[in-house]
Amino acid sequence: MTPFDLREPTSIKEALGLLNAEDSSVRPVGGGTALMLMMKAGVFRPTRLVSLRKVGGRFSGIKAAGDGSLTIGAMTPLAAIEHSAEVARAAPVITRTMPRLSNVRVRNVATIGGALAHGDPHMDLPPVLLALGATVTIVSPKGERSLAVEDLLTGYYETALAKDELIAEVHVPAQAGRRSAYLKFTAGSAEDWPAVGVAVSLEADRDTIRSATVVASAATSKATRLKSAEAALNGARLDDKALASAGEAGAQEAEVISDVRGSAPYKRELIRVHIGRAVRQAMATNGAH
Amino acid sequence: MATTTIPGGTIGSQIGRSLPRLEARDKVSGRAEYTHNLRLPGMLHGKIFRSTIAHGRIKSIDTSAAKKMPGVFGVYTAEDVRKVIPNPYYGPAFHDQPILAMDKVRFVGEPVAVVLAADPHAAEAAVQEITAEYEELPAVYDEIEALNSKVYVHDELKPAGTFADLKHLTGRKQTNVALDFKLRRGDVEKGFEKAAQVFEHTFRTQKVLHLAFEPFVSIGDAKRDAVTIYTSSQGPSFVRTEIARLLGLPENRVRIRVPYLGGGYGSKLYIKLEALVTALSLLARRPVKISLTMEECFYQITKHPCTFRIKSGVDKEGRIIARKCEVFWNGGAYADVGPRVTQKSGFTASGPYDIENVHVDSYALYTNVTPAGALRGFGIPQLVWSYESHTDMVARALKMDPVEFRRKNILKKGAAQATGTPVKHAPLEAILDRVASRLNWGKPFDKGTGPVKRGRGLAIAIKAVIAPTTSVAVLNVTADGSPILYCGTVDMGQGSDTAMAQIVGEVLNVPAESVRVVPRDTDVTPYDMGTLGSRSLFHMGHAVRIAAEECRAKIEALRKELGEPEGSNIPVADLFKKKYGMQAGNIVGSGTYKPDYIPPQPGTGLTTNVAPFWMVAGAGAEVEVDTETGKVIVTRLINVVDCGKPVNPKIVETQISGATLMQLGFTMFEKMHIDGGQVTNASLADYKIPGIMDVPAVMENEAIDTVQPNGPFGAKGVGETATFCCGPAIANAIDDACGVRITELPLNAEAVYRAIRAQQKTPLEDE
Repeated sequence: MTPFDLREPTSIKEALGLLNAEDSSVRPVGGGTALMLMMKAGVFRPTRLVSLRKVGGRFSGIKAAGDGSLTIGAMTPLAAIEHSAEVARAAPVITRTMPRLSNVRVRNVATIGGALAHGDPHMDLPPVLLALGATVTIVSPKGERSLAVEDLLTGYYETALAKDELIAEVHVPAQAGRRSAYLKFTAGSAEDWPAVGVAVSLEADRDTIRSATVVASAATSKATRLKSAEAALNGARLDDKALASAGEAGAQEAEVISDVRGSAPYKRELIRVHIGRAVRQAMATNGAH
Repeated sequence: MATTTIPGGTIGSQIGRSLPRLEARDKVSGRAEYTHNLRLPGMLHGKIFRSTIAHGRIKSIDTSAAKKMPGVFGVYTAEDVRKVIPNPYYGPAFHDQPILAMDKVRFVGEPVAVVLAADPHAAEAAVQEITAEYEELPAVYDEIEALNSKVYVHDELKPAGTFADLKHLTGRKQTNVALDFKLRRGDVEKGFEKAAQVFEHTFRTQKVLHLAFEPFVSIGDAKRDAVTIYTSSQGPSFVRTEIARLLGLPENRVRIRVPYLGGGYGSKLYIKLEALVTALSLLARRPVKISLTMEECFYQITKHPCTFRIKSGVDKEGRIIARKCEVFWNGGAYADVGPRVTQKSGFTASGPYDIENVHVDSYALYTNVTPAGALRGFGIPQLVWSYESHTDMVARALKMDPVEFRRKNILKKGAAQATGTPVKHAPLEAILDRVASRLNWGKPFDKGTGPVKRGRGLAIAIKAVIAPTTSVAVLNVTADGSPILYCGTVDMGQGSDTAMAQIVGEVLNVPAESVRVVPRDTDVTPYDMGTLGSRSLFHMGHAVRIAAEECRAKIEALRKELGEPEGSNIPVADLFKKKYGMQAGNIVGSGTYKPDYIPPQPGTGLTTNVAPFWMVAGAGAEVEVDTETGKVIVTRLINVVDCGKPVNPKIVETQISGATLMQLGFTMFEKMHIDGGQVTNASLADYKIPGIMDVPAVMENEAIDTVQPNGPFGAKGVGETATFCCGPAIANAIDDACGVRITELPLNAEAVYRAIRAQQKTPLEDE
C-alpha cells in the first residue's frame, strides 16, 4: 500500500467539497473493509480517501416511521442494524441476514451505504434491499436525488453514483403483508463470499404467491431481478411444481459467470435450487412481514 | 508417583500436567517478541519485484526509473548479489535456488529485483517502476506432464551433497526428476498374478499452502566478517550452516536469532528470505528487513500437489497380497526439501497394512510453479488420502465391511512394515477399534431423508518419523537454583517451550513455571536439526532430559562434596552459598540425542530400522450431503492418535484439533487456482481457510492411552498426526452417504455435485 491523503470531514458540505468528480483516485470511504482489500491487492491506489466517519447527522442512525418504513443513515454500521429492534420489527429478513454476513469484525465497521456504493455483486445486503424495494437518497454539490437500489446497481463494481455523489440514506418501504427470505450459498469456507445469493420478497394469499420479487446475486455481475421467475411464481400455489418451474425460469434467465467459487453451469443449478428454497422459507415466515 | 522403566525414570509432578503455555500472557497482551516488530537503527526495508511469467530467459531488467524515485536507497538484481556472494544458489537438497533470479525465471512470483528504502512505502512505489524483458519459454505445470516433457525447468541438476541418495543425480541433464525413490519388497508382479482380484485407482491432491498468520519476515545485519539474522525460522541451525556456506564464513561468524513465531507448519524451514536479506545488507551496508505481505506468501512455498497411482492385488479371502504405488510429487520450480518428502513418505506409501509384495516408485518433479516443501505431515496426508480412499473402494468392491477389511490386513504388533522395519509401539489395531467404536460401527445409522443424505467413514495411517536427526540442549542451574534452558526448538505456537520446561521441571523436581527457556539464538542455543516432522518432543525432549539429568547428578555430587547427608533436601541456592561463600556459581549440564538408524538399501529401500518411532492415527467422520447442491457438512469429526504419554494433555488436545481443522480446509475447499502459471486467488479475500463456522459441531480428540518406551518419559510428537486421516475419512463418508467417490481434493460442493450428476447419468456440462 502506498501513502495517501486521509480526510475526515465533519459535515456533508465539507465532505462533498473534498471529492472530485473527475479524479477516480479520490474516493469516499465508509468502514473501509472492501476498499482496504483493493488497496492491499494494489488494484486501487488512492491519492485521497474522504472518510465519512465523522459526518454524522442524517448519515447515521436508524429511524422507524409510523407506517412501518425505515430510514437508515448510510454510515450506520452493520452491527447496529443487526441489533436494532426497529429493523427486526420492520424488515426481519435484514436481521436474519446479518449473522452470516462476513464476520463480527467486519460488521462492526462496515456500513450499509458502503455495501451499496461499492457495487460488489458478492455482498449480501444489496440483493436483500433490492428485494424489499429499498431506495437511496443521494447527495452531491448539485443537490439531492432519490434512486431505487435496483437502478443504483448498474454492473460489476459499477453503480449509478457519480464520483462526487454520496449515498446519505437508505429507505426501506413498509413491508406490511410481505414475506421475505435471503439464502446465501458458500462453496468453500462458511465465511467465504457467496457463490450464489437469492433474495425473495412476496405476498401470500393463503398458499398462493403474489407480487413476488426474486433477486440473484454473487453468481451474476450485479444483484439482478429474475423477472421470469417472478412471473412463474405470481398467482401460483406453493408446490414443488411451481417452485421447480420458477427455479428453472430463474436459472435460464440469470447471466451467470464462472470464477474460483464455481463454474457457471454449477451456479445456475444453485440458483435453480435456491429460488425454491427461498420461496418456501419466505412463505414459512410470520405473515405480518 | 508411578514407576516406569522408560528413559527419565519415575514420572512425578510435572509430566502429564495441563500447564497453560508459559508465554500465553505475553502473547495475548501483545508483549511477546516477534521479528515483525523489530527495528534496528539505520534499517532499510526491501520490497520485491517479481516475475510475471512462468518460464523465460531474462533479457533485461530496467531499474533506472525506480532508482530515481523519492526515498529510494538502491535497487538490486542478481548481478549485484553476485558481487557479494559469487555462487548465490541455496537449498537443503539441491543448490538450485538463486537468491534473485539469474538468467532465467522459473515461476510466476519469483523474486527478480529488490528496492531498498528507509520507508517501505517508498520501496513499494518504486517497485512499480521496474520493468523486465523476458524471452518466454514453454512451461510445465503438471507433475505427470513434467515426467516426460521436453520442457526442462533446470538445465542441470545440482544436488547439495548432503544426502547420499541424491549423489547419483549430479550433473544429470534433460530431466525434471529431482529424486526417484524405489522400494521393492517381494515380487509385486507375481503377487498380482496370484491375486483373485486386482484394483487400480488414481488419486490427486491440489496445491495449497501453509498460511501461517505471521507472514515470512527476516532482517539481515551483515558486517564485514560477521552477520546477524533475525528471522521467523523453524530451523535456525540450518540457516546458520547455509548462510556460512554462502558467505564462506565459519559458523561462529553467523548468528541467527529467532523470537516466537506466529505459526510455521513447515513453511519456515531452510532458507526463505534469509539469504536475500544477507546479500542486500552486504550490498547496502545497512540492516535490511523484508516482510512479505500475506499475498506474497503464495509465491514462497506451498504443499506438494501429488498424483498417486495405486494398484492392489487381493486374494479370495480379502488379503492384500501385492501393492504397487507410483507417486508423483509436484515440487515446483526449486527442490527445497521436496526430495526428502518424496523419499521419507515413500517408506509408508503402501499404508499401515501387512503386504507381502510391495513396489513403490516415488518421484520428485520440477515444474514452473511456486516451490513446494514440507507442510504438516511431510507428504503423508497426500498418501493417506489416496491409500485410504483406495482401501474403502476395494472393500466396497469386495462387498466387505471397510473396518473388517482393514482389520484383516492391518500391520499387527511386531510385523515387518514395507521397509522391513518391525512396527513396534504403533497401536494400529487399538486405534482402528477406538475410531470404529466411537462411530458405533456395525450399529444402525440414520442415513437421512429427502435431499440430505448422511454417511460415515474412517481411515487409519502410519508415518515413520524422519531419521536420523540430532538435537542438543544445555541447561544452566543458576546460583539461586532457577534453571535456564538453552535449546534450539522453535516455539511456533505448538507449545514446545512449555513442554521442554515440564521435562526440566520433572527431572529437577521444580515447577515447570520456574524454568526460563531462552529464545533461540545460535550464538547461545546449541545445534538442533529443525522444528519439523513432529520430531522435537522426542529428540529435543531427550536432549533436554539428558542435560537436566547431568545437572541433577552434579547437584547431588555437590551435596556429597559439601558433606550433606544422603537424601538431604537442602535448597540448591544454599548449596551454592555453602560452596562459594555467597550467591555465586552455576551448574551446567548438556545433552545430545541422536537415535539409532540404518539407512535404507539403495534400489530396494529396505532397512530393519527406518525410524526411532512411528506416528499412528485414525479418524472417523459423519457427514450430511445436500444432494441438490453437493454441499457437505461434516457433523462429527473424530481423531484418535498415539503420542505415547502426553507431556501436556491440553496441548496435545489442541494439537489434534488444530491439525485436523487445518487438514479439513485442505480437504473441503482450499485450493490455489493456477491459470497459465498465474495464481488467480492469491489473497485471503479469495483463498479461504477454515473459520469458526467451519468447525464440525462435534469434534472428538483422543490420545490413546499408551507409552512410547524409548521416548522421553514415554512421550513422542503429535503435531502432525491428526492431519493424516481427515481427508479420506470424509471422502469415505460421502461415498457412504450418497454413493459417489471423489478421487481428487478438494471435496468442494461443486465436485460432489458433479459426481452426483455423473452417477445419475445426467452429467453437468463444463464451463
